[in-house]
Amino acid sequence: MSKYIYLTCTPEALVASMLPPQGFGMYLSTGTKKRNKGQTIFFEVDMSQIEKVIDLESLNKRCVAKEDGSPKSSVYLSVYRVLETIPTSALKSLYLTTDHGCVLELKKAPYDKSQESQKALHLYQELCPVTPLVASGLPPSVFLKRLTDNSIPIVLPKLFFVELKLGELATNPLSGSAEHLPYSNVGHLRDCLEILRGEYEKHMKTVQRIFSGTLLYRTIETGFYVGSKDEMAFYPYPNMKQLEDINYEFFREI
Amino acid sequence: MISSLFWIVPISALTALLFAWIFFKGMKKQDPGSEKMQEIAMYVREGAMAYLKSQYTVVTKVFIVLAVLLAILAFMGVQNPFVPVAFLTGGFFSGLCGYLGMNTATWASNRTAEGSSKSLNQGLKIALRSGAVMGLVVVGFGLLDIALWFLLLTKVIFTPEHMATGLHWLGLTFVQKGIDQHQAFVEITATMITFGMGASTQALFARVGGGIFTKAADVGADLVGKLEAGIPEDDPRNPATIADNVGDNVGDVAGMGADLYESYAGSILSTAALGAALPVIVGQGDYQIKAIIAPMLVSAIGILLSIAGIYMVRTKEDASPKTLLRALLLGTGGSSALILVVLAVMAWANWITWGVFGAAVSGLVAGVIIGQATEYFTSDGYSPTQGIAKQSQQGPATVIIEGMAVGMFSTWVPVLTIVAGIIAAYGFAGGFHNFATGIYGVGFAAVGMLSTLGITLATDAFGPIADNAGGNAEMSELPKEVRERTDALDGLGNTTAATGKGFAIGSAALTALALVAAYMEEIKLWLGRLADKSVDGYKQIGDVLFYKSHAPAIVQAGQHAILVTDAGIKDFVSAYNLSLFNPILLAGLFIGAMMCFVFVAMAMKAVGRNASRMVDEVRRQFKEIPGIMEGTGKPEYAKCVAIATKGAQKEMVVPALMAIIVPVVTGIIFGVPGVVGLLMGGMTTGFTLASMLNNAGGAWDNAKKYIERGNYGGKKSECHKASIVGDTVGDPFKDTCGPSMNILIKLMSMVAVVMAGVTVAFSIFG
Repeated sequence: MSKYIYLTCTPEALVASMLPPQGFGMYLSTGTKKRNKGQTIFFEVDMSQIEKVIDLESLNKRCVAKEDGSPKSSVYLSVYRVLETIPTSALKSLYLTTDHGCVLELKKAPYDKSQESQKALHLYQELCPVTPLVASGLPPSVFLKRLTDNSIPIVLPKLFFVELKLGELATNPLSGSAEHLPYSNVGHLRDCLEILRGEYEKHMKTVQRIFSGTLLYRTIETGFYVGSKDEMAFYPYPNMKQLEDINYEFFREI
Repeated sequence: MISSLFWIVPISALTALLFAWIFFKGMKKQDPGSEKMQEIAMYVREGAMAYLKSQYTVVTKVFIVLAVLLAILAFMGVQNPFVPVAFLTGGFFSGLCGYLGMNTATWASNRTAEGSSKSLNQGLKIALRSGAVMGLVVVGFGLLDIALWFLLLTKVIFTPEHMATGLHWLGLTFVQKGIDQHQAFVEITATMITFGMGASTQALFARVGGGIFTKAADVGADLVGKLEAGIPEDDPRNPATIADNVGDNVGDVAGMGADLYESYAGSILSTAALGAALPVIVGQGDYQIKAIIAPMLVSAIGILLSIAGIYMVRTKEDASPKTLLRALLLGTGGSSALILVVLAVMAWANWITWGVFGAAVSGLVAGVIIGQATEYFTSDGYSPTQGIAKQSQQGPATVIIEGMAVGMFSTWVPVLTIVAGIIAAYGFAGGFHNFATGIYGVGFAAVGMLSTLGITLATDAFGPIADNAGGNAEMSELPKEVRERTDALDGLGNTTAATGKGFAIGSAALTALALVAAYMEEIKLWLGRLADKSVDGYKQIGDVLFYKSHAPAIVQAGQHAILVTDAGIKDFVSAYNLSLFNPILLAGLFIGAMMCFVFVAMAMKAVGRNASRMVDEVRRQFKEIPGIMEGTGKPEYAKCVAIATKGAQKEMVVPALMAIIVPVVTGIIFGVPGVVGLLMGGMTTGFTLASMLNNAGGAWDNAKKYIERGNYGGKKSECHKASIVGDTVGDPFKDTCGPSMNILIKLMSMVAVVMAGVTVAFSIFG
């Protein structure tokens, strides 16, 4: 049986498994006895690129089939500050699961910085290693660079985040329609966005400090971003029509 | 000529049954799908049949008790001797329709799913024609029962010989000696109307029992399966999922069928009774018989047009929801348009007056407006439902407030439409000066509305079949394109179910009004009978002495004597003081209004109790059955069905009996004014309350679906959670309480009609 290495974001951990991504996603979401539920987000990691980071001997010893021949579901290799140790290039596809274990694969795609909107405001949900909801006037690549390139006093070694929809608030924070935005405190969100539009230079504003643990998949704007400084991997998220065609099960569950 | 034309009635009824049989056989010939699909359908079918068996066992016992009581009253001389038998036949045919409809629907779900794997049109055709079985058996058996009774009474019982000599048997008087043909027709139609009480009683049990069952199953499946265990809807691992599917059939096939069977029969019979009571027009000897047969004839032709309409429905493969809806509207609208032509021909041939034609058109138009208004207030394509979804941003409390407001506000359209329909029908038929003809027109408005019930009910029953087909496709893990098609059919079914509910309550209101008018005819009949039996030869009501054979010898000052057969509505209004300033009538009015709220409360509490039993059972199964979540252990579906069934049967008896007992007790205590107040209070409050409950429930449901489609964050968002609260509150509103109101107002009227003799003979204050 093949072995896979996954980087899970909730909690941040490196996990070996004999389950392929679909099975691993189902397992993470619903458990062995299918008595659990909850969405998860994880990357598949290219094992050949992280052989120096992990204890291969321990992995081979622990990640073996069970006595009844069934595959081993998970062997934790490391937890805490894992993302920063994995090279961005080692990250293969990104997987999102629904509460019921339905899995959507997102593949890496080239990112065109020239398409980034410099005028619009953005909303980013940071997913790893920290998890605040942040409003920003910076487009994704600049946002990532600013938080990871030591130019400000507080920086992160690497960051994984997703851009969320702002609708009309992206260009008109005060009076734009927030009709279909699900955020719990739209008034506060407007205030944060308006501050970013203020006279003095401010690029980021924390909207919410603690992540609820549930990402509303329908509110994802462009996709997921991971990396540090100038090295960034982009995982575009399909629009709803595309999603319906690509993965109908996932589409129905979100 | 007239008697020859009457044969169209039984022939149409038999044609309906023949086509129902053809559609049933056609559906059975379709591919039933994979083994898994058949297995799932089998579970639903077994559950549905187990439910029906249990329900019919309870109902049979109630029917036997009531029939015995009615027989005792007949021997006491205060009940029509035909009533016990007529009551049983009405109940029997209604129950038979429920069985045949449910049986067909449960065979059809997997075939519809399999048909959808071939094409959308194939899925639509199977579901609609299977729904048409329900539609056609309801109109077929309804009209057949009417035709058989009419033939029996006119050809065997009320023969010239019996009318001359009287017909007595077992000490009961079936035909009074010396009555004329006009009077005989009044007696015949008054007798026939009593079979509606059997249909009403059966319908109440079907609606209340079915409503309690379906919501208990739904809540059990959702609360434990979806929220606690976290498995999706229609997942075979959920022990309550089969009960949930059974519930769709129980509530929307058997319940709706029984409801409309009663409206259909009630509208024809009450209109025939009002037609029989029309004043004799000199020089037009056949005027009365034409007025009696006309509603039957229109309904009979409506059956043939319904069958034609069913064949008109077809769609293209890439049909959008709007195209699908248009396909159905082509069938229902086409049938309605053709029935207008038929009515115009009847008016041209002097069979009905142009005024009555106008009344029937009023009914048809009112039905369409109420249906479309229901669609407007409950569809997420329009602002009322979207407004509820928007309020979910503030939390569940505002969702509840907005939903209640939408439901209450939505009542203005059906209420004003019915008001306009009644006034128009009354004005067209009677020219605002002839009460008898005007009220006959109101009855005809109900007949017009229900004339194409064959296809209207087919589109209603289509909903749960499509819903079950979707469930079957989901549980059988059919490919995406199949589920997309069953989803499209399900969406269409939701729309037809919403408009169907509006149609059902609208027709119930008109039928109930016609029954109230027929009630006065029944009072007139009983005054005559009791006057005949009394020593003095008259019956004194207030200052009026009603006599039948001989005028009273002494009439005191302030009193006046009237021949019962000559008495008009104004005489009864005056004698019984049927005025809003009569405290007895006002008392009845209050009791009627109160009945609706108490009945709704009882039904809601029953849903809550039964749902909690279901929740306990589903929790137990998840805990005790090993491997249930992994899919290796099999849930005990039958146990969930049995628990929901047992609970529903237990809970439905008290509210149902209350609906039967209250009009009788009110009649005995408060007499005719009290009963008239009760019926009016019940009808006006019940109609408005039912519209509110149906529309609020439907709007909450669709507000949740609107959010689930991605608005306000979609599933799992805070808005979605708030909308689920609204949907849960709305479930018993729209599926148990609202539909039960239709029956309550009709059953109370029907019981009043049947018990008119008891009211006239024994009333204490009235």
